[in-house]
Amino acid sequence: MTDRHAKEPYIILRDVRKGYRIGGEAIPIFANLDLEIPRGDFVAIMGPSGSGKSTLLNMLAGVESPDAGEIKIGSARLDRMGETARSAWRAHNMGIVFQFYNLLPMLSAAENVELPLLLKPIPAKERRIRVGKVLDLVGLAGREKQYPTLMSGGQQQRVGIARAIVADPDLLLCDEPTGDLDRNSADDVLDMLRLLNRELGKSIVMVTHDPQAALYARRTLHLDKGRFVEKKRAA
Amino acid sequence: MRFLHLVRRNAWRKPLRTVLLISCVTVAFLIFGLTASFINGAQGSAGASNDLLAVMNAAGRTQPLPMAYMTRIASEPGVASVAYMTRLRGYVNVEKNVVAVSAAEPKLIAGVNGKELGLTPELVSALGETRDRVLVGQALAEAQGWSVGQRITVTAFQTARKDGSRDWRFEIAGIFDGENANTDTYFMLASYDYINTARARGADTVDAFIVRPAAGVSPGILAARIDALFANSATPTRTQSEKQFLEAFLRQYADVGLIINLVVGAAFVTLLMIVVNTMVFAVRERTFEIGVLKTLGFSSGRILMLVLGETLLIFAVGGTLGLILAKVATVLAGPALGLVLSTVVLAKAVSIIVVLGLSTGLIPAVNAMRTPITAAFRAR
Repeated sequence: MTDRHAKEPYIILRDVRKGYRIGGEAIPIFANLDLEIPRGDFVAIMGPSGSGKSTLLNMLAGVESPDAGEIKIGSARLDRMGETARSAWRAHNMGIVFQFYNLLPMLSAAENVELPLLLKPIPAKERRIRVGKVLDLVGLAGREKQYPTLMSGGQQQRVGIARAIVADPDLLLCDEPTGDLDRNSADDVLDMLRLLNRELGKSIVMVTHDPQAALYARRTLHLDKGRFVEKKRAA
Repeated sequence: MRFLHLVRRNAWRKPLRTVLLISCVTVAFLIFGLTASFINGAQGSAGASNDLLAVMNAAGRTQPLPMAYMTRIASEPGVASVAYMTRLRGYVNVEKNVVAVSAAEPKLIAGVNGKELGLTPELVSALGETRDRVLVGQALAEAQGWSVGQRITVTAFQTARKDGSRDWRFEIAGIFDGENANTDTYFMLASYDYINTARARGADTVDAFIVRPAAGVSPGILAARIDALFANSATPTRTQSEKQFLEAFLRQYADVGLIINLVVGAAFVTLLMIVVNTMVFAVRERTFEIGVLKTLGFSSGRILMLVLGETLLIFAVGGTLGLILAKVATVLAGPALGLVLSTVVLAKAVSIIVVLGLSTGLIPAVNAMRTPITAAFRAR
């Protein structure tokens, strides 16, 4: 990661408010939440259940909208975009890694990875080349035709990561990416994320319950009662 | 992988369900193909002409008209040509093997209707060589296994000979084929003189006059004028186009078109409900995956296309199979049924495939499109 990358603010949340209404009762999640994440950073977000980690990730992914406030990623104001624009933005700028991989069972590993590329005007041959490269990068060369149901959890998560990076997005959002893996597989996946951050300059925001996983990030933000408590560490 | 590939994989994720759905669609389009072929075929009125007029007795089509009307009709302005005809219905060998013989003056009928029936000058000439000769339609010849030169005996239901016999012997002089596949060729063409001279009753009467209007003359207006000629006579006429006549003839038994439309409509409505119901459940089962696709950047429009594409694919495969089976059935059914699966029927079937494919997918597709990602993820 270059210094230019480290200093440039990439994700900005200002005065973000978000709450839910359940049975007529308003439940606030965030009140005036502020956050800045530089381009090329690798941030782990930890916090107790119900602290809003998933809501925050959803808002960063454009899946949920804030009730008020500003969410800016790069030059895009997600809070001002409609659903269609947010879909297009996700397709071009963001990859997401899920806890339970969320691969489509009727598609092979290569076809799952290729999904985000179907949203771009890329010729089939070029798509195949890119899929091959990312599967090679995550250590799954030769398993292109294998179906997810025949893969281990670790392998499925590698496919999930390959799918997240195949369109070469600037931002990776990871929702408990090691939550369903054993320690060794988890370490492999986290090594991979660190590699993507350090070698390819991907900005990564990772929600995790696992303190060991958080050690792979450049910094960890603790979310509690709608506010961040930051604990800085050496990179 | 292409978008269509994704559609196909989605459709094929539960093969048994997809096969059953495709089977439903196949059966519905088989029914449609066969019934439409029936209406469109020689048994229906689709192949009948709107231009040719048939002048019959207003008291009923079984009542005769005097031959003397011929001159008056022929001299009516707007009449290009006219022929007379009497019909003899009977059977060959066994009573259920019913055949029809149209007795006409060969050159006159060729002048009025020769092109549509495929009456070449050679066939007309062959018919006129001896009085007991007949030309047999292609469909009838195929169904009976008859060939040129063969002698046949038709036992008439009503038309008796002067000697009391109802057996009419003919020699096959030739086989004519219609201009189009839906032209009725399940009958014989005999010489009027032979029947008229030999029959016990009804000499010099005809069952109908066939009139071809001159170019630019409205058949409807000419029909009214011809009927006006005989309105105050002892035997008033009723003039209809060939198509109107056939439709009225078929309606004597039942409104075949209406019955067929009701049957096909019921089949399609049932199909619509089955497919909509199945697809709603199928899409609901994969709500979570739709959430994943949306998270990856698939827009609502693409999700809509994905589900619509799936139902369209099921209808396209099932519909094509049904139409292929219908085509095979029309070929195997033989000429007696006169089924014709024409390009018009195929075009109509393709339109129905598209309309049903899209309409059945619409409800599940809109549901999928509108499902918020967060709600989709809760569906796991």
